[in-house]
Amino acid sequence: MTLRLPLMAAALAVVIGSLAQTARAAVAPMDLVGPVSEYKLYVSEKLQKLVADTKAFTDAVKAGDIEKAKALFAPARMSYEAIEPVAELFSDLDVSIDSRADDYEQGEQDPVFPGFHRIEYGLWAQNSAAGLGPVADKLMADVNELDKRIAELTFPPEKVVGGAAALMEEVAATKISGEEDRYSHTDLWDFQGNFDGSRKIFELFRPLVEKEDPAFVEKVEANFATLDKTLSKYKTGDGFETYDKLTDADRKVLAGAVNTLAEDLSQLRGKLGLN
Amino acid sequence: MKDRKSNEPTLPSRRRVLIGLGAAGGAFTGSLVAGAPAQADNESVTNAPVSDKTLERQPFYGLRQAGIVTPRPAAGMVASFDVLAKTPTDLVRMFQTLTEEIAFLTQGGEPPQLDPKLPPSDNGILGPVVTPDNLTITASVGASLFDERYGLKPYKPARLVRMASFRNDALEPSLCHGDLSLQFSSNTPDTNIHALRAIVKRLPDLLLLRWKQEGSVPPIPVKPGVPPGSARNFLGFRDGSANPSPHDANLMERIVWVQPDSDEPGWATHGTYQAVRIIRNFVERWDRTPLQEQQAIIGRHKATGAPMQGTTEHDLPDYTNDPEGKITPLDAHIRLANPRSHGSEANLILRRPFNYSNGVTKSGQLDQGLLFIAYQSDLEKGFITVQKRLEGEPLEEYIKPVGGGFFFTLPGVANERDFLGRTLLEAAGAAQPGN
Repeated sequence: MTLRLPLMAAALAVVIGSLAQTARAAVAPMDLVGPVSEYKLYVSEKLQKLVADTKAFTDAVKAGDIEKAKALFAPARMSYEAIEPVAELFSDLDVSIDSRADDYEQGEQDPVFPGFHRIEYGLWAQNSAAGLGPVADKLMADVNELDKRIAELTFPPEKVVGGAAALMEEVAATKISGEEDRYSHTDLWDFQGNFDGSRKIFELFRPLVEKEDPAFVEKVEANFATLDKTLSKYKTGDGFETYDKLTDADRKVLAGAVNTLAEDLSQLRGKLGLN
Repeated sequence: MKDRKSNEPTLPSRRRVLIGLGAAGGAFTGSLVAGAPAQADNESVTNAPVSDKTLERQPFYGLRQAGIVTPRPAAGMVASFDVLAKTPTDLVRMFQTLTEEIAFLTQGGEPPQLDPKLPPSDNGILGPVVTPDNLTITASVGASLFDERYGLKPYKPARLVRMASFRNDALEPSLCHGDLSLQFSSNTPDTNIHALRAIVKRLPDLLLLRWKQEGSVPPIPVKPGVPPGSARNFLGFRDGSANPSPHDANLMERIVWVQPDSDEPGWATHGTYQAVRIIRNFVERWDRTPLQEQQAIIGRHKATGAPMQGTTEHDLPDYTNDPEGKITPLDAHIRLANPRSHGSEANLILRRPFNYSNGVTKSGQLDQGLLFIAYQSDLEKGFITVQKRLEGEPLEEYIKPVGGGFFFTLPGVANERDFLGRTLLEAAGAAQPGN
């Protein structure tokens, strides 16, 4: 714990400075410091796992071990998906790590198509790791760079709090329809990652909101519980069923909970007096 | 050659002045014309078009829902939803909230102003004050709502079924059916879009959007002394000729509204059946078809909408002297749909369609067509019978139904204590009378 204190003190100073103009009577700026620091620790843990998992994944890809690479793909992504709003602060890296074929003029054939999904395409659509060496190397380099940049980042509180809703927007836009992992159909892993990340943020700030609006907290918790319960029906061992196994009825239950969470969590910054 | 002046729409005088300035050389400086309005200095290509109809308002409360015999305005939309309510209590809450929202949207008003740190309460596309713009929102329920979820099965309207394919159909599952349909109609597409977004935002835990199709009808110039005619569809023909008159109260009672003494469940009185069909038109091919053939396929004159032996759209077709179809072919669309033979008055339907224009198909053709909407008190005697009669019609070469569904339009909302679906939910014991 002693090692981290100097970092936190520095972060503290900047955070207080930026909050001074936006303080709302109900929530004191100081009250946000603790949760933001806790969140930074959470992100740091996720990044450590992401780096380790990406190393194992890219090693398997470079070794041409397709089955192993396939098995490591979705678990590695979970850590990324849990912290996506923070990763998105570095849009160049987010594009490099997580963009999809739609973003490239020549789609899957575009030589510039990078990252997790380019490798996913090779492994699942082509059942081959041929030519993926450089893509894997770049992915590893990008993940390491992301780790480095986030370690140096001061987390703006409004980005942290806003991240809870942002994660639900991710799910609402692409995971719920199975568009994210269109070759491997491992969207439910990503979904769990987004969901964990969102819930973590909410739990950290929950005590501050509960004072003002216990009904709001209860409603949000109930929707998180619904997501948990529904998603866990699809757990297999330490993973999930592929997206196609999601029944229509369950997809609708998830969509309803996700959309409601997106609406409710979009109120969070306002409730905490943040811009 | 028609006198252009008579086709000129009446413009508010400010616009007329601005057009005059433009003709004078395009320099919009106030000094050019003495006494020019100050607005000339603010002229921008992005100034909003003006309308004097935004305050037009249709009543929401009534014995029957609005948007059925209400005159059809220029813009429409059908949006279909899955209902996510988990219990009958939640279902009641959905209908009550929906009713509240519709009552506000159709009457207009100022949405609450919230702390700017919160997302706004209204999407704001109509500005800070919601104007009614002639909006009606008509709610109807699909057969799927009467499944095991809410215990409504015993109360399903007698003829409500999940729409099955007719022979020429190519129904896309993602464009079909739904637990709830909402028909929006107003003067402008934006009013409908504003309302849809408001409803979606208000009910994320209870409604999930399934499909939607927007549409429009072309306005025509006001011609004093000339009775109004049906708006044209994308085949260029007037669409809705011979539509039963909404002013004929007896006829409406007979063919549109479910009566108290019908064999439908009691809660359904003052409701009606709604048939929605998204019908693609192969417009490129149609536009390459000789006019004579087009007219033979439809059974009317294109320019006027008159039947083959008539002169105006309002003349009734008369097949009595044409048993072999030499004047109006036996397989003409209008003749098959309504042969005007003995007994065919039982199969009248009230149509209220819009034209839609979406994108471009993989073949590079236009994806356009008809958002067909019809109301009738008996779905079997009405739309289903008529559609079956049309099987094999020559028009089938040019059309392809791809979506839609069958719904039952709920009875009207009497007042602020009433809500959409109340009679059904009370009958099913999900809502207590007097709540």
